[in-house]
Amino acid sequence: MTDLVKITIDGREHDVPAGELVIKAAQDHGTYIPRFCWHPRMKEVGMCRMCLVEIETPRGTILTTACTTPAASGMVVHTASKTAKKAQEGILEFLLINHPLDCPVCDKGGECPLQDQTVAYGPGESRFVEEKRHFEKPIPISDLVFLDRERCILCARCTRFADEIAGDPLIEFKDRGNYTQVQTFPDLPFSSYFSGNTVQICPVGALTASAYRFKARPWDLRRVESSCSHCTVGCRIAVESSQNDVLRFNGVDNDATNQGWLSDKCRFGFEFVGSENRLRSPLIKVDGEFREATWAEALDVVADRLGAIIEEHGGEAVGGIGGARSTNEEAYAFGKFMRTVVGSNHLDAQLNDGLDARFLAGVSPRAKIGDLDRAATILLWAPDLKEESGSLYLRVRHAVQERGAKLVVVHPRRTGLDDRATHKLTYRPGEGPALLADLAGGEGDYAAVLETLSRGPVVAILGRPGLTEQAELAEAVAGFALGLPDAKVLPFVRRSNVFGALDMGVAPSLLPGRVAVDDAEAMAQLEAVWGPIPTHEARDTLGILEGLALGDLKALVLLGADPVRDVPDGFLARRGIEGADFVVAVDLFLTDSSELADVVLPAEGFGEKEGTVTNLEGRVQKVNRVVAGPGQSQADWTILDDISRRLGKPLGFASAEAISKEIADVAPAYVGVTWELLEWDEKEGAIVPYGEAIQPLTYRLPAVDRKALEAMSRRPSRGAFALHLARTLYDDGVLMRNSLSLQKLAPGGAVHLHPEDAGRLGVTAGALVEVKTVDASVRLPVILDPSLLSGVVYVPFNQPWTPSLGAALSVVIAPGKEVRA
Amino acid sequence: MSHPQVLTARMTRHPTDSHKLERYGATGGYVHARRAMDMTRDEIVELVKASGLLGRGGAAFSAGLKWSFLAPARPAYLVVNGDESEPGTFKDRQLLERDPHQMIEGIIITSVANEVHEAFVYIRGEYPKPARRVQQAIDEAYAAGYLGQGIFGTDYDLDVTVHLGGGAYICGEETALINSLEGKRGEPRIKPPYFPAAKGLYMMPTIVNNVETVSNLPHIFEMGVDDYRALGHADDCGTFLFSVSGHVKEPGNYELPHGITWRELIYDIAGGITEDRALKAWIPGGASAPWFVPEHHLDLEITKEACGKAGSMLGSGAVVVMDETTCVVKAAERIVRFFSHESCGQCTPCREGTTWLEMILRRIEDGSGRRIDAELLLDVSDNISPGLAWPPKQTTICPLGPSAVSPITSISLYFKDELSQHLEHGRCPLD
Amino acid sequence: MSLWPPDVQERAKELIGRYPDPKSAVMPLLYLAMRQDGYLTETGMQEVAGWTGHSPAQVQSVATFYGMFKTEPLGKYLVSVCTSISCMLLGSDAVLESVEDETGVPNGETDADGLFSVEHVECLGACGGAPAVQVNYELVEGSTPDQARFLCRWLRDDRPETVNTDEMQDRFGGRRSFDWAIAEVDRAIGPFPAFGPYGTVQKGDE
Repeated sequence: MTDLVKITIDGREHDVPAGELVIKAAQDHGTYIPRFCWHPRMKEVGMCRMCLVEIETPRGTILTTACTTPAASGMVVHTASKTAKKAQEGILEFLLINHPLDCPVCDKGGECPLQDQTVAYGPGESRFVEEKRHFEKPIPISDLVFLDRERCILCARCTRFADEIAGDPLIEFKDRGNYTQVQTFPDLPFSSYFSGNTVQICPVGALTASAYRFKARPWDLRRVESSCSHCTVGCRIAVESSQNDVLRFNGVDNDATNQGWLSDKCRFGFEFVGSENRLRSPLIKVDGEFREATWAEALDVVADRLGAIIEEHGGEAVGGIGGARSTNEEAYAFGKFMRTVVGSNHLDAQLNDGLDARFLAGVSPRAKIGDLDRAATILLWAPDLKEESGSLYLRVRHAVQERGAKLVVVHPRRTGLDDRATHKLTYRPGEGPALLADLAGGEGDYAAVLETLSRGPVVAILGRPGLTEQAELAEAVAGFALGLPDAKVLPFVRRSNVFGALDMGVAPSLLPGRVAVDDAEAMAQLEAVWGPIPTHEARDTLGILEGLALGDLKALVLLGADPVRDVPDGFLARRGIEGADFVVAVDLFLTDSSELADVVLPAEGFGEKEGTVTNLEGRVQKVNRVVAGPGQSQADWTILDDISRRLGKPLGFASAEAISKEIADVAPAYVGVTWELLEWDEKEGAIVPYGEAIQPLTYRLPAVDRKALEAMSRRPSRGAFALHLARTLYDDGVLMRNSLSLQKLAPGGAVHLHPEDAGRLGVTAGALVEVKTVDASVRLPVILDPSLLSGVVYVPFNQPWTPSLGAALSVVIAPGKEVRA
Repeated sequence: MSHPQVLTARMTRHPTDSHKLERYGATGGYVHARRAMDMTRDEIVELVKASGLLGRGGAAFSAGLKWSFLAPARPAYLVVNGDESEPGTFKDRQLLERDPHQMIEGIIITSVANEVHEAFVYIRGEYPKPARRVQQAIDEAYAAGYLGQGIFGTDYDLDVTVHLGGGAYICGEETALINSLEGKRGEPRIKPPYFPAAKGLYMMPTIVNNVETVSNLPHIFEMGVDDYRALGHADDCGTFLFSVSGHVKEPGNYELPHGITWRELIYDIAGGITEDRALKAWIPGGASAPWFVPEHHLDLEITKEACGKAGSMLGSGAVVVMDETTCVVKAAERIVRFFSHESCGQCTPCREGTTWLEMILRRIEDGSGRRIDAELLLDVSDNISPGLAWPPKQTTICPLGPSAVSPITSISLYFKDELSQHLEHGRCPLD
Repeated sequence: MSLWPPDVQERAKELIGRYPDPKSAVMPLLYLAMRQDGYLTETGMQEVAGWTGHSPAQVQSVATFYGMFKTEPLGKYLVSVCTSISCMLLGSDAVLESVEDETGVPNGETDADGLFSVEHVECLGACGGAPAVQVNYELVEGSTPDQARFLCRWLRDDRPETVNTDEMQDRFGGRRSFDWAIAEVDRAIGPFPAFGPYGTVQKGDE
């Protein structure tokens, strides 16, 4: 708790935290001091000199920058004295002498701090009659960002962000004095995953985004805040649209989550919303080809076919996969639909690429992202956060760099946080459990690591580093981690609203509100509202696909899911979908999976519907509607409601908000969480269980058992490599495929080998090799990667034009013939 | 009148080998460093404070007082500032080339006083010969056991590394020098909070002292506080090296006490004006200093106080003399161009303002001056150094910006007519 | 993977070892890189980045901040003429003109043959011996337009492999800032400061 001190600003006394920067203290109390280089989330540098104010000190009145002056008791500040005003005018005149008269053609016009402050604080005209500085304008510094050095006022916000916040020092000042310019190194573009933030924080139009250039003027835009739905952090964004087109996302400062920053995937990953590939009308497959149909036609087909299968084989012949891309309300509707209308327990929002649903919903104590800032130690045994959740990566980076937390990273290859790690443990996929056993035992080299981990508070971010690894490993690690002093766990899986979907019961083992299916009392309470719920043995996604492939299951409902691409064993997914008698897919696009369906129904997507989503902290936030869905698209819940009516068991939902009210009544952990609460009281979101709500599910974690861990360990077959299969930020996921700016940034299929292994195989970087698993043989180019252990290969998952390898751990590399042009 | 030589004594008496350890040892060298090792930190600091030694890099701050500010965190570092780049200054060069061991002994004393085990000598990149001499002397000192592990047979370790600059005047500013040593751009830091004594090299407590300052230390130990003080003039203790250049018959470095007059310095010691022409103006303390003119300042005493009262500074002791053939606009432009070229570029008023001033002066020199330029020059200057006061205020991070203003205020004050003639007639009255 | 020969790598390691933080060694290593290629190339900057832990953009940022790390090809002889206030007062502008004229190279450029680079520089700390000139950072004080011409002519005609300050001063210099007194035997080998620890000097015998 910081002490408050009294300071006087322009004659009025205020209580401000001791040591707070005068510029911030003033702002918080209603006095805006002009500035360019200062940003509340970055270290102050005092470079632009725009925030010069007069401060009375015992040695006389000094003229100094408000952004570098900490508030002290009795300080008297004059922000608009004659001297301060002259200084501010002078600075603006200096900035304008080289700044080009680009306003009419500059993207920033209308939201430009330089424009605004010139009007408010600047001189009426410039007295500069000499020639302005010239640069070639503008130059692309990456695929996504352009730089106009003539407009640049050298505030260094972009270069400081790149180094200090993102850890990607790819842009820097070059030369000095009047010749200073921001530059990249030749042939090393600003391909940071966070480059778009510099466009947002640039106080002039020097940095512009290729995705937005010349598209609109700020005064034409409609702006609605929402929560991003790409990863499970749920960053706060401002969605801006014009004429029913989403044109831009900007980061909004939510202290609890993203603190204003966005990864480029989130920032530029809006183009899919208005993509021309969006499904606009229902499709029915006739003789192997899709034809457009009316809703009535399509829904009739669905009801007929599903109804027939249910009648003949029972509800348990139907499986439901999806829900992670839906809102909580829609996921709840999906769960209720499957359980009470179809009569099936086979439903799963995960795609066999995550962790046990009960673990994700029930692990306790669960950390908040903000706990990272208070942690003494952070254990990161999860996917590479830089690839899978840029915002969480930035928060960990900040905690380590600025708050002094010590970081332990455990991963099969290099990660974006290695440079900040006190300890980095590398292992072969499959052998994670053995490593955990050794670590927990503190033997040999692990003694030092264990010592670091034994300093609490500890936050453990846990997940599955690769898709061929055992899902149980994360739970074993959690069991170990929770034995550390003052420890909390942040379970990490990536996809969108998967936490919300699981919380809504879209999992074989869960009911809505973090209730286990074997919780008889809670089940009874739910049945009082829902009616009877089936009790047959429930299958997860893998089980559903297996069942479909073998004929045990007959029908499949896909809700915004693409198992053929996203389930690691893509072959099984295809066999399952093809083996089904009937498949109905609700989606935004035709995907590799929905292509195989019998009926495809066009859904509303992000920005086109209102609802709530839940992030990995259990924080519920709102998503808001900004534009209308294309063509005849409908919200997921409406579609399910219509089908349920035709099946004779109407769900009876009136609106998304009505569903949310039902959730707040019926789902124990979500009691009390209403849209009103989120809009008015809990602006940072509400963490469930909220207030007095009780979460019935507690998930017991196994104690560390060396024998069990050894049994859990797996090794590849003789002569084979262990496959590390992991995601990249940009890949061939359906939303990326349909976001033009980002689609081309996916790294593409490749196999990464340790240089020693490559040497033994006689292959060099760039050579094409055959990568063989039990399921597939794919030809990929070699990349040398010394961060892997020998005996491990890394293949990025779901890349464009690259077939699936399946999910097996063992992989054999056979040198292919060199392709000569 | 002859003045006592202290810093230049050895090199004058033993010109061909004053740089060698043999000569240095034979003339009482390294005895004082050894003595310092038996004193406590407080004893040394008090001694240096009592001696009144002022920094010789330009700021003239009490060296002992600076040392006493050193924060308690360890390791602490010593950085010797050999980045001498102020136009008109060449005194450190002479010390480095001709008598490096006296500096090294001073380094040992400073290090022991401040619990420093790693010292760096930052020498500007354009001084390879002085750097070679210093490195040679350091190698000799290591071989003799005066530097390295366990110096003088004690368990005190001290390493000294020479670091070459890259051609940037701003690195002479102590925090910019520190940034440069850390492997960054030589940009000054904001003070507070980055006072080197608290958060210096690698954010640890650091002493930054000029070459000449450090070179004084063995002599202070040798002659004792009282004699050292007596050498000087009132509060300006000891001797100072003045670099005299420009239109004088005998340019060079002169070791002098404060208290003589400018007339004495220019006409007696430096031999008077070239070809006995008339003196027009001189810069008393390096290019950053406002000018003095014969009408007002010839009989002023050369002391820190008198100079300050007269609206200028002694700075690094560089005296640049301009005679009647000098076009003051051209001289001003040349100086302003220097600062514009050397500006690090961090802050708006210096980066943009010094270049703007340079452009205006060049335009005036080229004959395209306008009457309003006289006022414009002053107003632009005022936006860099508000009030055009002395000592200068600054809207900038460091004093480089206000330094560029000095020639402008000087010509506006003392050469208004000559400036007007440029503006009204588009040419220099001297042409 | 370093592209430097083993002896240069050894030197790099030694220099890095002199500082508590490898990043501090960036400036010495940039001189090493200049020694390898005759000027600072992109490859050189990348090599340095690999040693210090900077990113290449950061090395470029540091290198281009300073005037002496030149990223364009340089001539065998870098002729620098001081034109700061003291040298200007003593006629250095005319010295620069005669250097430009004699070499055929305008200020800031290098000739097509790779023989001369010519630049005007700010104060060299030789004000007592104005006008001052450096060849590969070895000083000649008390120059004149004619003497500077002769110096350039000698460089062009004799093509000395290395240059020595005393030799040049004796032949082409004039008034000195102070008595140099001590004979200087070390020699500069290229357009970068000659300094033993950086491997950029040819040591002489005393």
